[in-house]
Amino acid sequence: MEIINKDLGSFHLHFIKTDKFKTITIKVMFHSPINKKEITKRNLLIDILLQSSLHYPSRRELSIKAEEMYSLDIYTNNQRLGNYMVTSISLDVLNDKYTEEGNMEKAISFFSELLFQVDSSNSSFRKEKFELVKKNAEMALSSIKEDPSNYALIRMYEEFDKNSKVSYRMTGYLEDLESITEENLYTSYLDMIHKDLVDIFVVGDFDNKEMLSLIKSNFKFKMVKKDKGPYELEELKIRRNISMKREETDNTQSRLVIACPFKKLTEKEKNYVLPLANMILGGGCESRLFQEAREEYSLCYSIHSFARRLDHMIIITAGLDKDNYPKMKSIIENILGDLKKGKITDRELEVAKQAYYSSLEETEESSSRTILECFYEELLNIPNVEERRLGVEKITRQDISRFFKKVKIDTIFLLEGGAE
Amino acid sequence: MRKIDLNGLDVSVYKEKLSNNLDIYLVPYSNKKNYYISYATYYGSDILEFSTDKGNYSPPLGIAHFLEHKMFDEENGEDPFHFFSNTGTDSNASTSYDNTQYICYGNKNFKENLRYLIQFVNHPYFTEESVTKEKGIIAEEIAMYQDMPDFVLEMTLRNCLFKNSSRKYDIAGSVSSIEKITKDDLYLCYNHFYVPNHMFLLIVGNFSIDTALEIIHEELDSKREVELPKIIKKNEPNKVSKKEMNIVGNIEKSKLAFGLKIHSKEIEVKNNELDYYLNMLTTILFGASSLFRERVREANLISEFHTYWESFDSFKIFYLMASTRDNSLLLEEILKEIKDCSIDEESFERIKKVWIANEVKMMDTIEGCVDILYDDILKYRKVIPNKINCIRNLKFSVLKQIINQIDFTNYSVVKMEKNVKND
Repeated sequence: MEIINKDLGSFHLHFIKTDKFKTITIKVMFHSPINKKEITKRNLLIDILLQSSLHYPSRRELSIKAEEMYSLDIYTNNQRLGNYMVTSISLDVLNDKYTEEGNMEKAISFFSELLFQVDSSNSSFRKEKFELVKKNAEMALSSIKEDPSNYALIRMYEEFDKNSKVSYRMTGYLEDLESITEENLYTSYLDMIHKDLVDIFVVGDFDNKEMLSLIKSNFKFKMVKKDKGPYELEELKIRRNISMKREETDNTQSRLVIACPFKKLTEKEKNYVLPLANMILGGGCESRLFQEAREEYSLCYSIHSFARRLDHMIIITAGLDKDNYPKMKSIIENILGDLKKGKITDRELEVAKQAYYSSLEETEESSSRTILECFYEELLNIPNVEERRLGVEKITRQDISRFFKKVKIDTIFLLEGGAE
Repeated sequence: MRKIDLNGLDVSVYKEKLSNNLDIYLVPYSNKKNYYISYATYYGSDILEFSTDKGNYSPPLGIAHFLEHKMFDEENGEDPFHFFSNTGTDSNASTSYDNTQYICYGNKNFKENLRYLIQFVNHPYFTEESVTKEKGIIAEEIAMYQDMPDFVLEMTLRNCLFKNSSRKYDIAGSVSSIEKITKDDLYLCYNHFYVPNHMFLLIVGNFSIDTALEIIHEELDSKREVELPKIIKKNEPNKVSKKEMNIVGNIEKSKLAFGLKIHSKEIEVKNNELDYYLNMLTTILFGASSLFRERVREANLISEFHTYWESFDSFKIFYLMASTRDNSLLLEEILKEIKDCSIDEESFERIKKVWIANEVKMMDTIEGCVDILYDDILKYRKVIPNKINCIRNLKFSVLKQIINQIDFTNYSVVKMEKNVKND
């Protein structure tokens, strides 16, 4: 694998050359400091961009064209990474080797049309397309409770601190929908194109010179933009006492979500200790949470934890019967207490390290992981795979215990199901 | 050993049959770091009743899935997950209607992991105590699924489509059925269905064929072939059991499930080709570039939508699941689409391209390759070497004939509406 990074003024270009894939993937990533009011609008925007374009006035015509080019795939994503909203639009197209000469070039120009030749007139998106995506969004936003685990997570963040960026709902807000119009959505589109920082990633087996010229001729971002500050959130406000909130639902099962924020981590702890500590706590079937709560006490079917480095917290989630909640809570507290005291076996640490090494090996196995890795290294200045492997190797049980001394249960949210 | 080239995909499968009739499929990839091992039995929740020379048995519903959970108990107290995770290897298992598989997925320790996977699946160890304990965990799993509206919707549809078939039951059984499971039930099913002539081993990714075969022979040659019990199946009528059902759920917008039941005996097209044609038909009718999708999109009728086919015995079942603002309007659109069944040759040729591209893309990842091959082995008990050509050679006229032989009125519908109590 060969990585070439180029600063082209109005955007950063990253070539990741590898013969591992039969496809070429191009990801255009827009980043801007997150603004709560913009989330819903941005979601609408990436939806409307895939509905039609200047030459293809309907979604169906876009689909037909995409199918003709051997089923190329275009997909979007909008997420928050620390202080930033990161919106990406990606293209997957088969390498010409498996289709026909010139297919990829046509695909890239089609992809670029979706971004730059949008279906608009008089500085506005087309009314009927706009109404369509707005209604779609309305439907989606009115049904967020249907996914209880995701809903419980959203609610926990809000209970944690409704003013903090961690609580921003990336699904958007029903109440923000009203004020969005086809005109201001178009303005927001222009802002994204002209003001957001842009990175373009290209992964696959291609000729550098040919690809560079294709990218330059198809992605004409004009403005040169300045760096807009760090990704990592400022330190969180942590409560003295645990805050516990309950909400009832008609579901059978209850969902438990717990925020465990941490403070003042060193760079070493962020880079090497945090991933291991999370794995030991709740990173898989071998973790403390799984082994004790599920295997030893049969309290739940699912339980795990995940780390949000840029947000300074570890989150624990579980699905359980509500009657088991008091016992579950005390088990979790005991586990965290034990980890603080350094009650960690050599085997636990070794298992976590091995799982981490395996996940590092995985980074080159899919184009999306490859891009993510490049993004971490280039934009977040996270050490590269080899450095992380070496760093993690040196971590001791004492490092893990020191880390857990900085972690505290802050907010508990229980989405309470029925008693049956 | 036979080398089977998957034409047009740059992939070859090495197929071996052991003397005890265990099928081995080996698919080495030179440009990947990972490997994926699946050791599977054709035993799943489809088998409700069977007979041996000692008598007739109908174990409690959900036993295949329960058995899968309990296979992770070892006599020496070791936990297979522990063993695999020592080298950062992922392991898992899953039970479906027609199979149960045990997998490990990693990039280190291939030899030891392969040996261990085979050994732990070949050595059951059940106690009454551990069986009792498992009931709590599985009951929570069942509860988790019952909170998912999509799952409830699908199960209700299955109950409408089928009268006797095992496909109407939840794979995991019910809280009351699993309560009845004993360790003897588990041994009984294990001893009859986890036998080499009813199992297969599939390995895809970064490994050496010689190494794999060496371990396979050491671990599996001595396993004896066992005569399979007679499976007793109640006859499933060709007609759907119930046409329509209305239910309420913990949802904000309505949901619709539509199922078309086709008895394939009457259609004279080779089994795997028939699957391709049927898939082709529904992709043209309901796929991304269909007129149907355009109509319902413009009318803002659906928010979520997916379709799939299920194939078992001599049935082909088409499922369509959607979230919609109006169940009745959506149903009208669906019925209109299958009644007209208007397809043109241009779309037919274009969808071929889509499919060929999808096959190539799937084969680009270890997981995708496993998905395709595993599915083919289950459905056809073999891999299909010339799939790309087969798709290329599908004929529009044949599809037209097939359409004429399908009874499009043989469908069931389930409408799920918002539970008003929620307000």
